Amino acid sequence: MEKRYVDRRGVVLTVLATGLMILIAIFAMLPFAFMFLSSLKPGQEMLRNGLSLTFEPGISSFSNYAALNTYRDGIYWCWYRSSAVIMIMQTAVGLFFGSLVGYGLAMYDFKGKNLIFTIVLIVMMMPFEILILPLYRMLIRAKLTDSYFGVIMPYLVPPFMVFFFRQYVTGLPKELLEAGRIDGCTDYGVFFKIMVPIMIPAFGAMTILSCMNSWNNLLWPLIVLSTNEKFTIPIGMGTTITPYGNAFDVLMPGAVMAVVPIVVIYLFAQKTFIAGLTSGSVKG
Amino acid sequence: MKKLLAVLLAALMVLGMFGALAEEEPIHLTLWTFQELHTQLYKEMLEKWNANPDNPKLDIDMQVYPYEDMHNKLTIALQSGEGAPDIVDIEINMFANYLKGDIQLAELNDIVEPIEDHLVMSRFNNYAKDGKFYGIDHHIGACIVWYNTEILEEAGVDYTTIKTWDDYHEAGKIVLEKTGKPMCTWESKDCWSIYPLVNQHGGDWLTPDNEVRMDEQVVIDTLAFMRSMLDDGTAVPCPGGNHHSEEYYGWMNAGNCASVSMPFWYLNRFTDYMPDLAGKMKVAPMPLWPDGGHKSAQMGGTGTAVVKTSPNVEVAKQWLAYATLSFEGCVNTWLILGFDPIMTDVYGSEEMKAPNKFFDYYDDTIFDMLKTVLDDIPDTCITEYFPAAGDIVRNQMAYDLVMSDKPVDEIAKDCAQELRDQIF
Amino acid sequence: MQKQSLSDRRRGGFLTDPKVVPYVFVAPFVIYFLVVYLYPTIATILMSFQRIEGPTSVEWIGLKNYERLFSRNYIQALETTARYAFWDVVVLTIVPLLVAVILHSKFVKFASFFKSLFFIPALTSIIVAGIVFRLAFGTLPTAPVNRLVQMFGKEPRDWLMYAGTGNMVLIILTLWRWMGVNIIYYLSGIQAIPTDLYEAAEIDGAGAVSKFFHVTLPGIKPVLIYVITITVLGGFAMFTESVALWQQNNPGGVGRTIVGYMYLMGFYKNNMGLASAVGLTLLVLVLGVNLIQLILMGFFKKED
Repeated sequence: MEKRYVDRRGVVLTVLATGLMILIAIFAMLPFAFMFLSSLKPGQEMLRNGLSLTFEPGISSFSNYAALNTYRDGIYWCWYRSSAVIMIMQTAVGLFFGSLVGYGLAMYDFKGKNLIFTIVLIVMMMPFEILILPLYRMLIRAKLTDSYFGVIMPYLVPPFMVFFFRQYVTGLPKELLEAGRIDGCTDYGVFFKIMVPIMIPAFGAMTILSCMNSWNNLLWPLIVLSTNEKFTIPIGMGTTITPYGNAFDVLMPGAVMAVVPIVVIYLFAQKTFIAGLTSGSVKG
Repeated sequence: MKKLLAVLLAALMVLGMFGALAEEEPIHLTLWTFQELHTQLYKEMLEKWNANPDNPKLDIDMQVYPYEDMHNKLTIALQSGEGAPDIVDIEINMFANYLKGDIQLAELNDIVEPIEDHLVMSRFNNYAKDGKFYGIDHHIGACIVWYNTEILEEAGVDYTTIKTWDDYHEAGKIVLEKTGKPMCTWESKDCWSIYPLVNQHGGDWLTPDNEVRMDEQVVIDTLAFMRSMLDDGTAVPCPGGNHHSEEYYGWMNAGNCASVSMPFWYLNRFTDYMPDLAGKMKVAPMPLWPDGGHKSAQMGGTGTAVVKTSPNVEVAKQWLAYATLSFEGCVNTWLILGFDPIMTDVYGSEEMKAPNKFFDYYDDTIFDMLKTVLDDIPDTCITEYFPAAGDIVRNQMAYDLVMSDKPVDEIAKDCAQELRDQIF
Repeated sequence: MQKQSLSDRRRGGFLTDPKVVPYVFVAPFVIYFLVVYLYPTIATILMSFQRIEGPTSVEWIGLKNYERLFSRNYIQALETTARYAFWDVVVLTIVPLLVAVILHSKFVKFASFFKSLFFIPALTSIIVAGIVFRLAFGTLPTAPVNRLVQMFGKEPRDWLMYAGTGNMVLIILTLWRWMGVNIIYYLSGIQAIPTDLYEAAEIDGAGAVSKFFHVTLPGIKPVLIYVITITVLGGFAMFTESVALWQQNNPGGVGRTIVGYMYLMGFYKNNMGLASAVGLTLLVLVLGVNLIQLILMGFFKKED
């Protein structure tokens, strides 16, 4: 009797909990459904009937996607490439420096260590927005405006990565460093040959967060870049939104295509990603 | 073998030099705009310019930016003295920002003054300071009214008999009674309803000396009239908040409203976004105020400017004059963009009668109608505090008028106070 | 000792000196901090005492920018931001935590599938998502959300035109976008709690609620602190979400945040000096609120 009661209670709870998750999943996915269905319809249809979740075979087609190739001589794909280049550069450089510094802070005891870590924490809490004007003036003096390097410059050593890697490495045994030294490695050798492979889950987690930040970053790239062909997708999409009316024919399929690569990266890396976040768990 | 290669290389280099001499190197200019549509006109006029062998060859790199961001970018570029384009489209609301301190835009008097008599000069004063012109507009932006004749016929109203705003209101009552549809929409987060009416009525936000005029009786009266239409339902809050929102386009396109009053350049919003109303919409002058005022108002605009620090200021000015101030340029402004050109000579010319999508949508009497109001359009007063005034009108005055019950005299008083606070 | 110095000499290395090595590791951050954060912060502070009207016309005006700071618009932006930040912290701390706890319970089928799915909104650009939300919460009775409320017999509304409902839409948009991220942070914390703690609690006869408050919550405290800290920052520095819904309009005072006001002043009204002053108040505000929050959470006690 007791057992059957527990079972029934379990079933009810399972149905309730899973049902709730399904509702939340619908909430999370609904805007994408709007986006995708709208991307199949002529832009005029958006104006005529507003957003709707209907699929109308008569007027729905992939022709908007084909039109991305011809819109302003295919400039959409320039934006795409530009976004990809910036994402890869920013992530690679960020991972390199972020892991280096985070590792240094966690593995060694040295004078000034606490000061530097405190600075990392403070900087993480600073709104980047207030630094934009002086940073831009700096770029101009360095003749780096309208360059990809200018775009990634403020993200060379991302504080959140330093913080995360520091947390992750704090959880690793310090004996690894000693063992490596005894084997004749320099400290740098220990880092690259022994530590980096151990830190792979952390790299996975930071890759996704960095790609995500970079791919959707709007404000700073917009200020730095001025050649239309060098624009990133969010900026390019912004040019199709004007106070006088939006080019939905481009906007909607463009938005759908923009989600695809980042979701693919996420799906590929998500095992490592979640494992990384879990094992590196934020210890404050 | 090596010798042969060297000879070949040398020959190539010589050929290359000749090639360079024969093919005149074009002058590169950069142009920024926030409105992709404008580039259609610019491209056409660039092609025509380069087709004339007397002109120096130009290669203009046209960059399109999101609206807000282009102005932000320009501000930063001009502030820091680097990274600015040669030619730039500046929206009228923003223009005064660039006329502060040491002005970074080039004077255009030498291309404007020689043909002064052919131009609607009040459009140039919007972009001027101390008698110097810094921007060239594409259009007059005369305000007119679009009537949905299908709805009016259903209600038995003849729009040509509407002469005053009171007539308009009365007609609205009949339309509402017969069809259940409102006569018009007032914007709740933009200035295109309030400002034209106030300006046509003889009011404005500022004097040239930055005295605030927002709480004058004429403003209060205009607001009271607009409020009275809201009260009896002949006017409704604009869906989406302004006449440029997707929601409004769709709603208007479905035949939900009998009329709208907007500047002339709104023609192309109908052709582009409200195709179902083709043949049903008729344009007419704005109704008049019984107690005086003007026939129309000039609203909106883009001042195209040349940046002073550009290494090619002169040629940039020459091209700009050709593209926007020549007879050809003004005709194309109509044919391509559907704007009312700033050159009076073009009105009535044969070239303007060439068929285009606007004539197809409405009919070919547009300019006959427009000509009747061009002689009585007041100036707008655009000073360095105009952006601040515009911000208050959009976000405070329009909102309070349409979305709240706040008495109109208080609205005017509070808005005026807010502007005075920002000026001191 | 001797072995150490021998190997040093062999590698010829100042850079491999154990005293130097840690500094080499952290050097990139120090340089980065000086260039990207410290210098611009100082520049912003200096600019807040200036009137800047072009590359050559910079004028020192003392405290005038600060005197002009507290205008009606600024106070309104402050209110808008504070209201948003408050609800942002409340909703984005609690809802993802509850979802994470439910996901972690044994009652959810396909938990890892849901976990992946919830994260996807964070991957999209706010620009287009904002348009979808703006149209979904449109003013017409035919807009999707208005259709939905009409099905429940409620009146359609102008959601985005009033401060209260406008703020609600903003929170919904933020929740949609960031819920998945916070869920993953929380799950990482929850999974790190040793299971024997739960077992011990069960032996003591603790129910689900009691376990949540006595085991889960203390166990994820570091994660909780982290989530609150970044949410406070995100809440006070919010800008793009509001632009996506209202552009530069401010109906009923809901569409303009502190960062939005800073932009309005700096770019739209070309007053960089005042904008810098506004930016600095934001900095003080965020650091202040977070400091208080960290003290309340006992963050600084653990260093013993």
